[in-house]
Amino acid sequence: MRKFLEIFLGILTAMGGFVEIGELVFSVDAGAKFGYTLLWVVLLGTVGIIVYGEMAGRIAAVTEQPVFYLIRQRAGYAAGLGTLIAALAVSLLTCSAEIGGVALILKLLFGGNYYLLIVVALVFFLVCVWFMSFQVIERVFGLLGLMMLVFLAAAYYLVPDWSQVAAGFIPQLPKVETSKEYFVFAYFVVALLSSIMLPYETYFYAAGAIEDGWNAGDITLNRIIVIIGFSLGSLLSVGLMCIGANLFLPQQIEPQLPGTVALGPSLIFGKWGLVLALLGMFFAFGGAAIENALSNAYNLSHFFGWTWGKFRPAKDAPRFNLSWMLIFVVAALIVLTGVDPVEIVEYSIIFAVVILPLSYFPMLLVAQDEDYMGPFKNGKLANILGWFYLILITIVALFAIPLLIITHGGKG
Amino acid sequence: MNHDFLDMARQVLDRQVLDKNHILCGKVDDIEIEGETKPKVAAILIGNGAASERLPELFRILSQKIFGKSVVRVPWNEVDVITHQIKLKSDAKELKLDERTGPVYDFISKLPLSWKK
Repeated sequence: MRKFLEIFLGILTAMGGFVEIGELVFSVDAGAKFGYTLLWVVLLGTVGIIVYGEMAGRIAAVTEQPVFYLIRQRAGYAAGLGTLIAALAVSLLTCSAEIGGVALILKLLFGGNYYLLIVVALVFFLVCVWFMSFQVIERVFGLLGLMMLVFLAAAYYLVPDWSQVAAGFIPQLPKVETSKEYFVFAYFVVALLSSIMLPYETYFYAAGAIEDGWNAGDITLNRIIVIIGFSLGSLLSVGLMCIGANLFLPQQIEPQLPGTVALGPSLIFGKWGLVLALLGMFFAFGGAAIENALSNAYNLSHFFGWTWGKFRPAKDAPRFNLSWMLIFVVAALIVLTGVDPVEIVEYSIIFAVVILPLSYFPMLLVAQDEDYMGPFKNGKLANILGWFYLILITIVALFAIPLLIITHGGKG
Repeated sequence: MNHDFLDMARQVLDRQVLDKNHILCGKVDDIEIEGETKPKVAAILIGNGAASERLPELFRILSQKIFGKSVVRVPWNEVDVITHQIKLKSDAKELKLDERTGPVYDFISKLPLSWKK
């Protein structure tokens, strides 16, 4: 029973923590621009994050070594430091966007000054992470983030023809009027793939496995959690894209704000649909802000060999605890400058693609190394998929920044 | 793993260091070698001052400005066990590798419930 509960909670938290402001905006916007023609990217990205999430969790369970231990050991100090700085920048920007997103949601729920609400959100996160244990954080934000399921329910009512949705899972190009729109389509492919395979998910997941005291006996648990949790999370992305395709595409609206996205559930379910959508977004963005801040503290600690973890008293891991506090403060300062959180997340997602190969390559090398993993090394399927996705994300990484520039951030 | 020889670059450099009580003490940031005709490992070096020496000049200066240039030299005979981590024979405090001193510790330890898991 205890094991079942652990699996159940793990799946729910993986699902609840999956969707953040970037994925929300990109998924709905993708549906609003290209209908169902990008659904196959969600499927492609989901298998990718399952493959690398499983590897990160398995390595952590077997060797008790999180991702940045491996990056430094395998890539060396200089290349490892480069990856660390890039990962810090991406997670800091993402954290910043999530804090801005939370402030926007608070403004929609209660009104008030946006900048003051950023400060309120900052204090809320500092208090939550300081006083809550790791398990409480993942369960509270993961489970309450499940209120986002209202988007899936709204999509169910909005979609008139499910065979068209099914056809969207076959790789295809959309029918567009100008060739320039193909670049925008390619930009959305890159952005969606990145928003689903964001590297912080594996950093946080592996560190979380160690925080939860996993060992080699938890490998099956790890597999079940990543497969079901990430798949259900992706289902939410599919739902968001369907809302975009059915609600915003016919009206030629490009939703750029979380509040606009919440129109879907509010149209179908009225006031309570809107409240559930906003609360779901609050906890999903909040969970992502915490994951990014902790991720950065984990990465710094793992790279430099500091004592880390929420499982020990804060005074025993002073640098780790100061790190996540500083990340929250700097992230809040970024949005306090007035920069649009959605714009921040658009950039952070594109830059995240660039560090994906640098993060995943050492992970793949270790996962297939018998010296490290013993009998738990990658099987044939994990190796084939691992190399396929590594090559794919490397190619995607090469095109990410040129596409960002050519398409003016997907605006054409 | 082949136990007939030790590959210092792959099996020691950049590995996590622990003290005898399993307290994390940083990484093996560099290795000190002595003797020219018959080189021998003299010590492991821990601290950003040692690690940053492995960077190109501009990055070395930047890294030292941000993370400092402290170096702690741990004689090789202090190394107890080498697995995927390097375990030392002594206590982190004795080797001046314990994080639980200095201004960061003072700040964190003064916050409410900092002693609570």
